Amino acid sequence: MSTVTEKLEGMDVWLYHGQIYIPNTYSAGAVGSKFLIELRDRKRIVGTRCPTCNRVYVPARSICKDCYSQLDEWVEVSNKGTLLTYTVCNQQNAIQPVEAPIVYGIIQLDGADTGFVHLLGEVDPEQLKVGMRVQAVFKKEREASILDIKYFKPLV
Amino acid sequence: MAKASSKKKAEEKKPEYIHVTFNRPRQYSWSTGRYLGHFYAEAKENKRIVGNRCPKCKDIWLPPTPVCPKCKVDMGWDWAELPQTGEVYQYTYLVMPLWDPHYGEKWANPYPSAIILLDNGVFYRHRLEETDKDKLRAGIRVQAVWKEDYEERGHGMADILYFKTIDEQEAKRCLQ
Repeated sequence: MSTVTEKLEGMDVWLYHGQIYIPNTYSAGAVGSKFLIELRDRKRIVGTRCPTCNRVYVPARSICKDCYSQLDEWVEVSNKGTLLTYTVCNQQNAIQPVEAPIVYGIIQLDGADTGFVHLLGEVDPEQLKVGMRVQAVFKKEREASILDIKYFKPLV
Repeated sequence: MAKASSKKKAEEKKPEYIHVTFNRPRQYSWSTGRYLGHFYAEAKENKRIVGNRCPKCKDIWLPPTPVCPKCKVDMGWDWAELPQTGEVYQYTYLVMPLWDPHYGEKWANPYPSAIILLDNGVFYRHRLEETDKDKLRAGIRVQAVWKEDYEERGHGMADILYFKTIDEQEAKRCLQ
């Protein structure tokens, strides 16, 4: 048994630390799969263009959120972009993919019209600025996950 | 030949679908409170099973409780040490494989789980050492076996590994 208990100092009270696994799996679907496969095989970030609104969605989606058109046109976008907004999370939590402090950013990639949520790395949280230029850093071993992009780093 | 290549082409064209799996543990912690905490501390420090006594009906409750479930009165702080020997009152033999839901480890299996009537008449549920189904029966005398390592104790009821069978007549005969 590997449960962890801890007695509170000076009290007859024990803290019991546990954890629970709730595994879940879902299919990324036809469009999501293609987006992830492009990340894995060609290190490319792709999106879909809406023919009616002329808007490029990244990550790719199959239906336009405003006009409900079917989106069939695939476009490649740059792996560089502009930081729209960000937040810094200082609390460590086991469900997070990286260690604290975690910097989340919403990035508008060049050629896309929507924000792309991802992690920011190689950056001092104090020096973050809205509007700064960032670039995607890919992992060496990719497995068709959104975390095949390790993080976005600031462009110097 | 042409057939084989066309078949290969068809296989290549088959789209690949990605499955996204998420399996990170969610963490939580809970406090035992004063009463169960005392039970935990006695198990860790002194290898003792303790229950608390109701001031009104004088019944001993195990696990300890802040309010008597029978009389609905405040239990106060009256503790009673319970004997570590007893007899098997009822038992069941668990064959279904079970996993620890918190850490995903497989629990040893199969094992007998029993309700043990301690010598002062208090019931306690625990597992038995005896895994031979034929040697199990209600009424066999059992005794608690504790985890020896002080550092490993601190999990309340789990500080007792299991209850082992003791044959008191056999023991007496050896002594004479």
